[in-house]
Amino acid sequence: MMKLIFEKSVKGKKGYSLPKDLFDDIKLEECLPEYTIGKDKKDLVEVSEVEVIRHFTKLSKLNYGLDDGFYPLGSCTMKYNPRINEKLASLGNFIYAHPLAPVETVQGCLEIMYNLNKLLCEINAMDMFTMSPAAGAHGELTGNLIMRQYFLKRHEKRFKMLIPDSAHGTNPASASMANFKVIEFKSNENGTVDLKELDRLMDEETVGLMLTNPNTVGLYDEGIEEIEKIIHGKGGLLYYDGANLNASLGIIRPGDTGFDIVHLNLHKTFSTPHGGGGPGAGVIGVKKDLIPYLPTPIVCYDNDKNKYYLKDNGKDSIGMVRSFWSNFAVILKTYAWILSMGPDGLYEASETSIINANYLLTHLKKYYKPAYDRYCGHECTLTGREYKKYGIKTLDISKRIMDYGMHPPTIYFPHFEPYAEETIMIEPTESESKETLDNFIEIMLKISGEAKNNPELLTNAPHNTPIRRTNDMLAVKRPILTYDDELKLKNP
Amino acid sequence: MRYIPNTNEQKEEMLKNIGVSSFEQLIENVPDTVRLKGKLNIPDAMSESELEDHVVNISQKNSDFYSMKPLIGAGSYRHFIPEAVKSLLQREEFWTCYTPYQPELSQGTLQTIFEYQSYISRLTKMEVVVPSIYDGASATAEAALMALRLTHKNKIIISSLLHPHYLETVKTYLTPHESELINLPFINGLTDMEKLKSLLDEDTAAIIIQSPNFFGGIEKLAEISELAHTKKILLISVNVESMSLGILTAPGDNNVDIAVENAQSFGMDLNFGGPYNASLATKKQYIRQLPGRIIGETVDIDGKRAFVMTMRAREQDIRREKATSNICTNHNLNIVAANIFLSLLGTEGVYKTSLLNMKLAHYLEDLLLKSGKFEKVFDYPFYNEFLLKSKTDLSLLKTKLLENNFIPPLSISRFYNHNNLENVLLFAVTEIFNRDSLNKVAKVLSE
Repeated sequence: MMKLIFEKSVKGKKGYSLPKDLFDDIKLEECLPEYTIGKDKKDLVEVSEVEVIRHFTKLSKLNYGLDDGFYPLGSCTMKYNPRINEKLASLGNFIYAHPLAPVETVQGCLEIMYNLNKLLCEINAMDMFTMSPAAGAHGELTGNLIMRQYFLKRHEKRFKMLIPDSAHGTNPASASMANFKVIEFKSNENGTVDLKELDRLMDEETVGLMLTNPNTVGLYDEGIEEIEKIIHGKGGLLYYDGANLNASLGIIRPGDTGFDIVHLNLHKTFSTPHGGGGPGAGVIGVKKDLIPYLPTPIVCYDNDKNKYYLKDNGKDSIGMVRSFWSNFAVILKTYAWILSMGPDGLYEASETSIINANYLLTHLKKYYKPAYDRYCGHECTLTGREYKKYGIKTLDISKRIMDYGMHPPTIYFPHFEPYAEETIMIEPTESESKETLDNFIEIMLKISGEAKNNPELLTNAPHNTPIRRTNDMLAVKRPILTYDDELKLKNP
Repeated sequence: MRYIPNTNEQKEEMLKNIGVSSFEQLIENVPDTVRLKGKLNIPDAMSESELEDHVVNISQKNSDFYSMKPLIGAGSYRHFIPEAVKSLLQREEFWTCYTPYQPELSQGTLQTIFEYQSYISRLTKMEVVVPSIYDGASATAEAALMALRLTHKNKIIISSLLHPHYLETVKTYLTPHESELINLPFINGLTDMEKLKSLLDEDTAAIIIQSPNFFGGIEKLAEISELAHTKKILLISVNVESMSLGILTAPGDNNVDIAVENAQSFGMDLNFGGPYNASLATKKQYIRQLPGRIIGETVDIDGKRAFVMTMRAREQDIRREKATSNICTNHNLNIVAANIFLSLLGTEGVYKTSLLNMKLAHYLEDLLLKSGKFEKVFDYPFYNEFLLKSKTDLSLLKTKLLENNFIPPLSISRFYNHNNLENVLLFAVTEIFNRDSLNKVAKVLSE
């Protein structure tokens, strides 16, 4: 068991240093009235620097990172995070740039934001991007608010949002935050949008459709042109969830297929690290008609003065969605990645990720029945339903994968009966070599055999991870959410 | 392409394995009519060294910020960050991993968040902490939405001394919902208490007060919470400079209901505004309406202590449109940074650094007042930010400060157009200054 930092604390240990001059000539009580001063010091820990280094180094070793090996989480696009991008994002002129420093001192930062906007517009066939949103879901909320504002200004009362059952949970949750009524509808037998159902549901009270393409089962929607006609035919807007853009670079651009608005997860397709749950960025791109509604501010360039500046986006803007301007460090890494790839590299990334996914599908489908037996995009959705008869769930398969030193794929998502149940969604990305994929295939076949012959190996898995399966019910029933909760439980 | 390992030969072999003659066959259900014809019109790939030259060249269009000390804060503070923080953040296991959905492979991230929840709980004296929100502004907006859900009322009184970006963000988030935002004016640089009393009524869900407020003034939160609670109104406190927690009265001791803590000061670079991180801290009774990720302690099947994401029935991947928020990916690596930072400073370091910030700011204010070139705007208690009215033209001061490698303080008229706030500067001072550098600031400003 790994100790908590609190359990390593010893009075008198020190992990910090301060200058000699602590201004003892100035007295706290003379500066501040009594009501402002805390009654006591806040009790944290007392640990030396070397112990802090060891504590967090040990903790880090309990994690499995992308650099440790295969990380095929579907819809998460765990691709390699280039080192040079990290270095560039740590340049002193960037990291010490204050967001409210005089505009003439931050021309470099603004130029990066401005340039990235242009690149993303070309890659997605959009007219303008905002760099504000901090994450994919934050982008979705921003996008929904833009759509809301668009119809408000046109004096159209639209309040319903269409979302396929294959969508990420963030889609309905974001639409809800914009106070839209979510209308979820079933996918067809091909795993894509049911055009008849879409046509039936789309009306003049509906804002539009939020769509991931390829969708979360990894399938391109072949009806995209029909979908566009149905939504635009009734005056609605088409929203592109960019979570799965990794299958489309240089092949198909959201703007060319009729999408009016798109969010991109820069921490997926554009290679910026996930950081164990962020920070990423969820930039939003729009077609011309929607530009006035983008959040404030936007980055502009004054040709005459050869100067970049931040501009309030005017009275129709939805306003600000965060403090300051963007997750700049993430914006910068994205910019660097696109320039490293170039047009050919971007195409090759999508091409390779699609080949990789189909290669896995081909080799695994005999053992793990695919949700839909057709070529996939950058990810494939298999199922573990064949193993139910041995008392094995997909969860057990995924836990067993850990024993072989790999991170399991996404499981139980997407989930919709009857096709997609007990799902295993695998996204190998372009970063994975054939050798890694072959190794994974071998392991999956081995696990298939174990499921039939030695199911306990799976139901008790994992066996050799830092901890084993957790009691999640206990965590809810007896909540320990801080160290003090734990102490109270021990010494009531 | 060096980031893509498969060779062309391997790709061909794989295509053959799949049973297709070309890559085209794999994407034949993408209608030809909507396919991109030709190549993307972006610059050709750069080599690593070309890329480095290109970006370094752009970075030099910024000022040389490494050697410049900011006299500006306003929601973003340059504090000293020990090298151990940066060094540990380079462990790939922290920054290349995904959200900790698989606890068996994510105890590092999960325990780090748990420890950080414990730190913020002790610093704020609040029972429950969600540290996984993007920034202070979006956290304040989430707190406002949470208050609407908790009270089933629709009115929110919001201080005009809340950070202007936070205020704008709350407005944006609340616009679609049938709610009313009431502006709470200030007097003498602090909340106008008489006005507040007159605004409180049974329809009010919450009051949002920043302390230290945007002008730097420390608000009477205990008095405000007492007023609020007599009408069953929730008090949301917002702190944009978390370093102040070291010496100031904790939100919990002021009986605040929801405390928003912008954690940028705990080991995060300025980064031109992001990414930062913020926490929501609250009372246990409100836990089910919290947005975002909470980590809890449990045991594994061998009885070993283990950490997991918990209280998940609030989240979007489970509840979809009925979730308390849409938030998913947030700013986890910033939590790791903040935890390491607080572990290093510890009880004494946080207290002493916090105290030093306050003293340095008061030292500079005193120097500037004595110079005769500035006068007080308000007589209020402040932490490390304060307003002064300049008798000299601000653009002149700005030029002089930049020449001497100081980032100038914020001209408050950028956000407030009151008559008596013309030619007024908002100074921020942190421990990156010492007596010499502050003496120099005073000298530059009074020459």
